Formats: sequence, structure tokens, C-alpha cells
Amino acid sequence: MNKKKSIFNDQRVIAALVAIALIIVYMIFSKEFRKYSSILSMLDFSYYTLLMAFGVTFPLITAGVDLSIGTGMVCYALVGGTLIRNNNVPVAVAMLVCILMGCAVGLLNGVLVGVMGLAPFIATLSTCMITRGIGSMCNATPWPTLKQPGGWFHSIFKLTFGQGRGATKFPIGFILVIIIMFVMEFILFHTKFGRYTLAIGSNKEATRLSGINVKFYHVMVYVVCGFFAGLAAIAYAAVVPTVQPGTGAGLELDAIGGVFVGGVYATGGYGSIIGSFIGTMVIVLLKTGLPYIGLQANWQQIITGAVLIIAVLIDIMKKKRIQ
Amino acid sequence: MGEVILTMKGIDKSFPGVHALDHVDLEVRKGEVLALMGENGAGKSTLMKVLTGIYKKDSGTITYEGKEVEFKNTREAQENGVVIVHQELNMVGDLTVAQNIFIGREPKKGLGIDDRKMIKDSQALFDQLHIDIDPKQKMKELTVGKQQMCEIAKAISHKAKVIIFDEPSAALTEKEIEDLFVIIRDLRDKQLGIVYISHRMDEIKVITDRVTVMRDGTYVGTLITKDSTKEDIINMMVGRVIYEDPKTHSMVPKDAPVVLKVENLNAGRMVQNVSFELRKGEILGFSGLMGAGRTETARAIFGADPKTGGRISIMGKDGQLHEVQIRTPQDAVKAGIGYLSEDRKRYGIIVEKTITENSTLACLENYMNGPFINKAAEKKIAEKYVKELATKTPSADEMVVNLSGGNQQKVVIAKWLVKDCDILIFDEPTRGIDVGAKNEIYKLMNRLASEGKSIIMISSEMTEILRMSDRIVVMCEGQKTGEIGIEEATQEAIMNLATRNID
Amino acid sequence: MEKLKQNPIVKKIGLNRIILVGVLILMYIVFCIGIKGFAATGLDHIRNTLNYVYFLGFLSLGVTFVIATGGIDFSIGPVMFCCALMAGYCLNSYKWPLIPCMIFAVVIGTLFGIFNGWLVAYMSVPPFIVSMASMNIAKGIAAVFTKVQSQSWPQSKDPVNGWFRNIVSYKGFPTGLVVFLIAAVLCGILLYNTRPGRYILCLGSNREAVRLSGVNTKKYEMLAYVMCGLLTGIAALFFVAAYTTVQPGYGDQYNNEAIAGCVMGGTSMVGGLASILGTVIGVTIISLLQEGILAFGLGKDFQLIVTGIIVIVAVYADVSARRRKN
Repeated sequence: MNKKKSIFNDQRVIAALVAIALIIVYMIFSKEFRKYSSILSMLDFSYYTLLMAFGVTFPLITAGVDLSIGTGMVCYALVGGTLIRNNNVPVAVAMLVCILMGCAVGLLNGVLVGVMGLAPFIATLSTCMITRGIGSMCNATPWPTLKQPGGWFHSIFKLTFGQGRGATKFPIGFILVIIIMFVMEFILFHTKFGRYTLAIGSNKEATRLSGINVKFYHVMVYVVCGFFAGLAAIAYAAVVPTVQPGTGAGLELDAIGGVFVGGVYATGGYGSIIGSFIGTMVIVLLKTGLPYIGLQANWQQIITGAVLIIAVLIDIMKKKRIQ
Repeated sequence: MGEVILTMKGIDKSFPGVHALDHVDLEVRKGEVLALMGENGAGKSTLMKVLTGIYKKDSGTITYEGKEVEFKNTREAQENGVVIVHQELNMVGDLTVAQNIFIGREPKKGLGIDDRKMIKDSQALFDQLHIDIDPKQKMKELTVGKQQMCEIAKAISHKAKVIIFDEPSAALTEKEIEDLFVIIRDLRDKQLGIVYISHRMDEIKVITDRVTVMRDGTYVGTLITKDSTKEDIINMMVGRVIYEDPKTHSMVPKDAPVVLKVENLNAGRMVQNVSFELRKGEILGFSGLMGAGRTETARAIFGADPKTGGRISIMGKDGQLHEVQIRTPQDAVKAGIGYLSEDRKRYGIIVEKTITENSTLACLENYMNGPFINKAAEKKIAEKYVKELATKTPSADEMVVNLSGGNQQKVVIAKWLVKDCDILIFDEPTRGIDVGAKNEIYKLMNRLASEGKSIIMISSEMTEILRMSDRIVVMCEGQKTGEIGIEEATQEAIMNLATRNID
Repeated sequence: MEKLKQNPIVKKIGLNRIILVGVLILMYIVFCIGIKGFAATGLDHIRNTLNYVYFLGFLSLGVTFVIATGGIDFSIGPVMFCCALMAGYCLNSYKWPLIPCMIFAVVIGTLFGIFNGWLVAYMSVPPFIVSMASMNIAKGIAAVFTKVQSQSWPQSKDPVNGWFRNIVSYKGFPTGLVVFLIAAVLCGILLYNTRPGRYILCLGSNREAVRLSGVNTKKYEMLAYVMCGLLTGIAALFFVAAYTTVQPGYGDQYNNEAIAGCVMGGTSMVGGLASILGTVIGVTIISLLQEGILAFGLGKDFQLIVTGIIVIVAVYADVSARRRKN
């Protein structure tokens, strides 16, 4: 059974090629896109999606899902913002609250799925509604802008040198995300947690029979996902001028779609953070780039949905051919 | 032959309705390979499951290394050095070989797992056992045979003192079997105690020192391999008094037409070039040991699994054989074939539905009143068969989940009778059913045959095969090894064919 | 308790359903007592609840078929909006007559159902992925088609099409209720008394056993999704008849509520068990609950949280009950 190990067998390579193709197309057909400010703006919007994607890769590898990351992210950002604005909580603490809330909801999801045995989509669909409700209880709150006290957190994602119009901005957030990507890839492939996540997704019963505490790891998978939703909330707050309650539904599609484009198995057992990164960049390029070549914003939703289905179909076809 | 390392004495284990182990003894010695033989259902794997803690014994003692033990689970058995290499492999397909071998006890390096050490140690294991496998390969990319080798390496890495091999050679090529034997001899020289469960007589003669035979849940005896013949062993395996008279001659007239002709059926490893004919009014027994490929053959004929080659022809209304294309169960049912699965709970009945709903499932279109289901007609036919099959139930509206195993089986049978199939494939029809219900099913099958229906009966029960069949097809590891008419059939002859592997 | 369970009427309707009706009545009484002015403006609340029941009820009926096969469809909310928006655009901008628009709405829903069903049944794509994609495709198509403008359907004072609102209520008589109940009865007949319904229920319980009995399971699994799409299209009509205006970009909330009504009523997410009557009662409870929450002064956010909790509890109860039975 010696498959020719072509580099093109790796879906991540194909995804990367698609991403590069998209960039080339945009550069050719849109003058706007070639501007540094456009690229900056696109990167700004990629951070929270990428972080969500990193987190949700883990449940997807276990053949599960977390649908609450989108509304969750918005909810945590709203709560954090409200604390800053109304309770004079320092930004650093608000950031910590985001992360803790993410972990808490993640834990809830983990228990519902891993311990109580609810199907992942219905459990996380419900927590999606619950976080949306909690978020809606807050008012639309902006986090501090760069110039306001506490605005330092923007510099995590974008360094600004100078003042006013001529200021140079550097997307340091992108470098941070890439570092996180490598760290998470290491965790996935070289630590017990990642190893057992893959094992559970591949063959939960065999893993259990090998003496591993499957319940614990299954719950942790969702906690990690929630943790990243919390991080994504911070990135979201840094980018969006005002966080609006009631938004967020649909953002998880970008992340989850990205992970599938990046090559995760629909039936579980394999995934890659690097793959999720590349796949999500494809989605981000589609989403933010299409307007530059004249495609209206709402086409993004249609295209993202279609891309998700195509990515999954490709995965299913590949499996069927092997059998 | 060294000292005794493991003794099982007077092991008794019962499940509801089944006395699986009846005072069974087993003695394993250091530096020795002990064969454990017996037909399907003899109790071999049950005994091993009791040993490794999967089942809890009802009574009896297990003495290991001089101490009485009772392992609570496989992990505990493993930690103590008693390891079983299963037939159904417990491997995680998407992880690599090295990762599978060391799952649950990965060596650390800094913050992460030391994969390199795992690969090195795996390679060392493989070198030690002379196995040629790349530890970096993903488990799912290996052939079943190679996966089994990994399972063996994993067992050995647990510093096992007793290793049980459950049908190890079933999935191996000849070369791999030779390699396996080298490993086993090596382990034996290292003073391990080895239990080798297999039905392959030739291998038993080559690799084992003694043979313990079980039959119907009891311990029959132990022979020294080199002093015994194949016939001795077979006699112990099947030597039972059959209380019910076996069929003495075929009930099928010599000129009975062929209703089903299967030519060169191929469906993977388990169905290799199988050809046979089924005559009208015949009960064709399909005998063989587990893994012979009988169920796979039936499923391929029925369209339940895809086939890679072969012709199926069925007698049409004109009395002539016509080739039919059967790609799905739908096609098969349309062609007049019905199939009672081996695992009735999983594939035969819908537990949360009523007897009525289950009975008409294969031909609901015949019980319609315009666009609506004619529930009265449905119930009537369901009740008819409840009566005819003597299904014990308060009413036909009872949910199938509430019935006993035997009665559930009757509902499955009813489904195909309601459809009025001409060709019926019964796969282990009386498994898990009490004697009274069994007899009813036998009577029913005979009646169906005399009415002109043709039956293929897959069975692992020798008495059943000899009692019911007009003719017997024997399979072994995917191939048809022979065909015997009931007049010439004996248990020994059948077992001979069932243990012969044609390579 | 045991004697109660043996009572033939109880057996026919199901103890669960009777408990649910009890919950419904109890809830109403609690609201009357606990919420100031609830009883006084009673008729208003009942009318509001009914308006909610109509569209949510059709959504729930549709998703009952899908859940009965062991699948899921949470694109129903956005699809409903897509139907209402697209057909509304045809009405307002292309100036189509009303009846073709109504048919168009139902057709769109059915098309989505065919799309979802084909992907799940024939292409083996996991249902939740199909739902996710459909959900967003529906939102996108609706926005693109209507150029992101909200659409309004005719109100009673409309000279030509004013009769449209009569599908909901005619001079105070709840015509919508009649239509909904008739539809529920038809769904019940379809599910329990026809071949497709029988196959759908059976394949939800044990797909392989049904396949091995010679039934084309793929066809019937897809049919369940098509039914869902069709009923979603009808739900769209009732939504706009009651609330007149639809905006692009919404609809998610109703997914969970429809599923909640379904599961509460006894339809099992594991597949194979479905109750139309239970769905009807469940939807009524959810609708009354939403109305009560609003009357209490709490907002949509509270509704979302409560619905989320209800789904978790209902599904967990169902999962444990099924586990115990097997």
C-alpha cells in the first residue's frame, strides 16, 4: 500500500496555494488591495478568527465541534468592556476576565459533551444561545482606544509609531499569532494532551482500553477551545470600534470553515494548527478581499458556506477512494 | 518444559441463559507454547476474558506466579505481565506505530513527549523480534498482518510473562507467520508462558508443545502435541453425543432445479472465488470456523457489502436462471432474497418499534390502503406469524426490546416470511436461543423447505448443521474448501475441511 | 402512579405529553399571578403567543422530521428569513402578485431542504456541517437578493393584498391556529400512517437494519430534510403575516427554540422517536415562555439564555432515558 508521497497529498499545501493564488488575483485586479493600509486592515480582522480557529481545531479533531466560540467571543468582549467602562476595572484584569470566562464556558461545554454525553453540536448550540443572551444583557461598549488610558492593549496587536495620519503601524499581532501557532502545533503533536486528543478522535474506545482517562482529556479539549475564544475576545475588542451585543453568530463559521480547509478530518483523528492557520487565512482572504474586487460583502457568507461544504466533501471523497 | 506459571482451576462463568464456562481448567508452564483449541462457542475467548479481567468469574481460582489473583481489568493484567494479543486490534489508526506501542506511557523530554526515544525503542523491539516495520508509519497504513505484529511488539514491551495469542495467524501472510513463529520460539526460550489459540492444525503441530481442548464450555483434556495426531485433536473437539438425530439423507429430489447460482464471488479477503449452487427446496448448510467468510459471502450476495467480482443468477418465473445485478439490499429483496443477520440486535430488528412494525418492514408496500398504511392488515399478518412461530408476547403491539432473544429472532424471521422470499439466508439463526425455541425454528425451516423455499443456513453449531442440512458447504478463511452431501457428512469430515487452509 | 400509566387514554397520548400540558397551564397561572397585569391584558398575551406559535410551530414540525432520522437542521431560522425576504422582494420590487410570492417562499424553503437532504443522505456530510453552511448561505443569499433591504409584507389596510393577514387571524378568529393544527395533524398522519413516515422513524432508530430490509434509506432520509424545508417555507409566510417586516441577518434564535419545542415534546435527538403532539405542546410552552419573559420586562437576552438551558436539560433527559432503556 505504498502511496506516492506527493507533497500535494498534504491539504495544507493546497490551501496555501489557494491563499497565494487569491493574493495574486487581488493584487492584480485591485489597486486598493496593494496598499499597505489595506493589508494592515485585513490582518487586523484575521487575529480573532485565527485564534478561534486554533482553539476549535481541538474539538474538531475529536469529531466534535464548538459552535459557541463566535457568540462567546463577543460575549466576553462585551462583559470585559462593561467592566472597564462601568466598574473602572483595569484593562489587564478585563483581559483576564475574558480568558477566564472562555475557560468557564469551555468547561461547561466539555462536561456536557465529555461527561454527560450530549452531542457536541446541540450542547454547544445551546451554550451559543446562552452566551449570546448574556452578551445581549450588556450595552454596546467600546474598549479604550489607543490614545485613551488602558489603550495599551492595542499595541499587542499593532505597534504605532508617531502620531496622526503619518503614523507608521506595524502588525506585530501577526507575529504573535504565528508564534502561538507554532506553540500549539507543538502541543498538538508533542505533548500528551495533543496526542490523546488525536487518539480520542481516531478511536475513542481503543484509547480508553489503553488505560487513558478519556473523559478528562475530552473535557480539556473544550476548555482549551474556550480559552482561545477568550483570547479571541481580546483581539476582537482591539479591532472592532464598538462591540455590539447580538452579533457574533456566523463568526464561528469562518473559524470552523478555516480548520476544515486546513485539512482536519471530518470524522476526526487528524488536524494541524498550521493547517488551521493556512485554511483560516484562505477564509479571511475571501472574506476581506472579495470587496476589493467588487464582490459585495454578503457574498462572503455564501462563499464561506460553500467553501466549508466543498472542503468537507473533498475530505469525504478522499476517504471513500481509499476504502 | 518448565514450572507452572499460571493455573486456572474450576473456572465457572454464566451469562443469562448461557453457561459459558463449566469448571474449566488450564495450566500454562514457563518456556512452553500451549495451544488452546475448540470450536466456535467452546469458550476459549470467554476463558481468556475471565483471565484478563474483562469478565468476572463466578467461581474457581486463578493462580499466577504462586499467588492467587483476580485481575480487575486488562490494564491490571498487563501491569502484572499477563498480556493478550487480540484478534480485534486495539490500535489508534491515525497515530504512528511507535505512538501506539507506547500509548499511555509516553517518555518525557522537556515539556513534551520524547518521540525520538519512542521510535528508537520501537525499532529496538522490532529488531529484537526481526520484524520489518517502520515505527514512523501511521498505523492505518499498515496491513492487518503488520498491525498485528505491532500489537505483539506492544505486548512484549509490557515485559509480559504470559502472552496469549488469539488467532494470530488469521491475517498474516506465510512469510509473516514464519516470522511470528521465530518470535514465539524466541519468547519461549526466554521462559515466557505462551497460550496459542488457533484452529490451524498444521501450525499447532509446528509451534506448540501441548494442546488443551475445550468443548461446549467444558475442559476436555490436554495432549502432548508431538505425540498426537490431527484426528485425536479433532475427536476431542467434536466428540460429543448428538442427541438429536442428524439428517440421514437429503430431502431434495435429484431433479430439483437450481434457484441460485453464485459464480466466482469476490469481496475482499474474506470472500475469494466462492462458487456454489442452491436448489429448490434445499437447506444448504454453510459450515466453518469464525473468520471463515460465511457471513461476508452472504452479505456480498445480499448486496449489503460491495463485491469486486462474481456472477449471481436467480431462477426467474420462467424456471430459467437469469443473471441479476445486486448492488444494494434493495436489489436483493426485489430479487426474492431475504437475509437474517448474525447480529439481530444491530442489523435485524428495530428495538424501539413494535412487532407489527418490524414484521412488515421488508414489504410495507403490500400493506397499504392508498397512500396510507393499512394498520389493520399489518396487525393481522403480524399476529398470524406471532401465532405460527409461537412468539411469546402479550400482543403484536409489544415493543421488540421487551422480548427475549429467541423471540426477537422470531420477529426477524417473521419479517422475511411476511415478504414471502423464495431464497432465505439464515445467518446463525438459533444463536442465543433456548432449546425449545430452537426446535420451533428447525420445524419452521423444514416446513419452508418442503413448501419449495430454498434456504442457506450459516451455522457454527455442528449438531445444527448435521441435523438440518441437505448438503453442506464448508469455508475456511475466505475460500470454499469443500462440499459434502448429508449422507457422507460427519463432524470430523466437516472439521477437516474447516481447518484446511488452501494457500 | 403505575395505575395512572396503565390508563388507556394516558397510554395513547403519552404521560409526557400530559405532564407538558400541565406545565403549560401551570405556567400560565404563574404568569397571571406573578406578572402584574398579565391576566388583565390576557387576550393580548394570548394573541401574541399564538402569533409566535404559528411560525415557530411550522419550524418545529419541520425539524421534527429531521430529528426523527437522527439528524439535525439548525439552518431553519435563517432559511425562513431567506424565504420571507426573497419572496418579499419579489412582491415589493418586482411587483409580483401576492399568491405567486407565497408559493415562491415555500419553494425556496423546499430547495434548501433538497440541498441539505442531498448533502446529508447522499454525500454523507455530517448534518451539523451542512446546517452551518446552509445557515450562512441562506443569510448571504437573502442579503444579496434583497440588496440588504428589509422587506415588508402586506398589512390589513392594504387595498389589494390586505387579505394576507387573514391567514393569521380573521376578525379576531385565530385562523392561523386552525391552519397550524390541520398542518400538525397532516404531519402526524404522514409520520405515523404512511410509508415514508414509517421508514423515517425506523431509519432514525436503526438505519442499518432498515437498509438490510431492502429499503432505500437514502431516499427517505433526504425526504425528511425536504419536508423540513417545505415547512420552513410555510413558516416564513406565517412569520410575515404576523410581524409584517423581515430584516436580513437574523433568525438564529428561532433555531434553538424550534429544536427546544421538539425535544421537550418527546422527539428524541438520538433518532427514531417523534411526537407531533409533543412538538405542538412544546412549541406552545416555548412561545408562552417567551411572551411571559417579555411581559416580565426582561429582554430577548433572557429568552436566549432560558431557551439554551431548556435545550440542554431536555436533551440530557432524553439521552439518559434512552440509555436507561437500552
